[in-house]
Amino acid sequence: MPHSHIVSSFDDDLSQLRNKIVEMAELVSKQFRDAEQALVNNDLKLARIVRETDIQVDQLEQDIEKSAIELIAIRSPLADDLREIISAIKISNALERIGDYAKNMSKRVVVLNETQKLDVNLSVVSQMIEIIDIMNKDVIQAYMNKASDKAISVWTRDIVVDNLYESLFRELLTYMMENPEYITPATHLLFVAKNIERAGDHLTNIAELIYYIVEGTPIEMVRPKGDYSSEANVEFTS
Amino acid sequence: MVNKMNILNVSEGNTASVDLTEPKIKAKKVNVYYGDNHALKDIDLNINPNEVTALIGPSGCGKSTFLRCLNRMNDTIDTCRVEGNIFLDNQNINDKKIDVVQLRARIGMVFQKPNPFPKSIYDNIAYGPRIHGIANNKSELDDIVHSSLKKAGLWNEVHDRLDASGTSLSGGQQQRLCIARTIAIEPEVILMDEPCSALDPIATAIIEELIEDLKNRYAIVIVTHSMQQAARISQKTAFFHLGKLMEVGDTATIFTNPTHEKTKDYITGRYG
Repeated sequence: MPHSHIVSSFDDDLSQLRNKIVEMAELVSKQFRDAEQALVNNDLKLARIVRETDIQVDQLEQDIEKSAIELIAIRSPLADDLREIISAIKISNALERIGDYAKNMSKRVVVLNETQKLDVNLSVVSQMIEIIDIMNKDVIQAYMNKASDKAISVWTRDIVVDNLYESLFRELLTYMMENPEYITPATHLLFVAKNIERAGDHLTNIAELIYYIVEGTPIEMVRPKGDYSSEANVEFTS
Repeated sequence: MVNKMNILNVSEGNTASVDLTEPKIKAKKVNVYYGDNHALKDIDLNINPNEVTALIGPSGCGKSTFLRCLNRMNDTIDTCRVEGNIFLDNQNINDKKIDVVQLRARIGMVFQKPNPFPKSIYDNIAYGPRIHGIANNKSELDDIVHSSLKKAGLWNEVHDRLDASGTSLSGGQQQRLCIARTIAIEPEVILMDEPCSALDPIATAIIEELIEDLKNRYAIVIVTHSMQQAARISQKTAFFHLGKLMEVGDTATIFTNPTHEKTKDYITGRYG
């Protein structure tokens, strides 16, 4: 562990900033788990709670930005302190995006509830969210313990989410081709899946930031890519 | 990979002075003793032309001692012994044959506390050129005084009262007068020992702006206790600790990602 600052209130300020980041990450993690439950169980009430939680997430992002800017102005941080404070702003931005994805998913729960039921296996979505949940928890651990190896493990896990998204993408396209009535629900589910996949990307970004805070250099590996849906072309057969 | 990137960054911003130019000063295995106290240990450090090198470190780390080695200011301290070689353009300044007065004309110095002579502003600046015989006549001397005051950014404030005493100026003005006095004899290197520590933020900013400008003509070495000042004005930063040079590198890297734990503790204000 690094030595403590001679001015101990600087350490207090930094640990308050860290606590806010962790609080935000836990809140966003819960949003995602709740969004999954809302989707799987058609729970409109829970979906609403997820949407409403977004206000808290946004507020935390603003708090973190404000604290970080004040810390820069007051403490003139350098080296790892500077990296950590700048990264706090970026991490909170990423977490806010992830929260938005959960919110967006929960909005679609309402539409999916009202449209033609699609007999699609939602377990892939659940699996994706489960991995997001693990990544989120690992990110928190990596952040709290300044563990760059843990950050790398989060970073490499994103490929699983990408692969699941890719397979779901193809499956949903097939549904749409089978029956035009499925286009509305399938499209919404596609966006749900895309939201989860994007959340994975943002968690990967956070993992990269944690690595940077600890090591002072960017991760020098090629980011694993498992989502080739942008190149997918499923033949229409009727 | 990390080093490679640093080199890349440096060479992109400052190709001429970092990679291709010969250092102005090369210190090799410099050791300094005050009696039994081993104050500087095996210091190897290059000072590049047209660049500001900041020396940082806690009090007593040896940074001022090192600075004073560069123009043999330590000669005046009886108990002080300097070993090792310091080359100014490949000439060893510790050589017994070196004329110290000439050396100090080539390597000027500005101190922590402004120390103008108790003479007129004009005479403060004309003093050096006179004793070194730089000016041939009054008109040349006038030119030197005027241009030195202009280069030091003091001309506009004092041009109508060159006869006034140097000590009548404000602290910041006095420090700029000392800088003008230093550059009047056209040195090659300027050493500055905490030149802003007695000044307010405005006077400090003016001096920093001046240093930025001066580095286009001289190699500058500055000792400073202000991390922010070192970060703002220097291209290269050297961190001293307990008489050793712990780390030296381009300033941006030192202040964002220092290699040595001691450097990190010092610049971030931690117990180390």
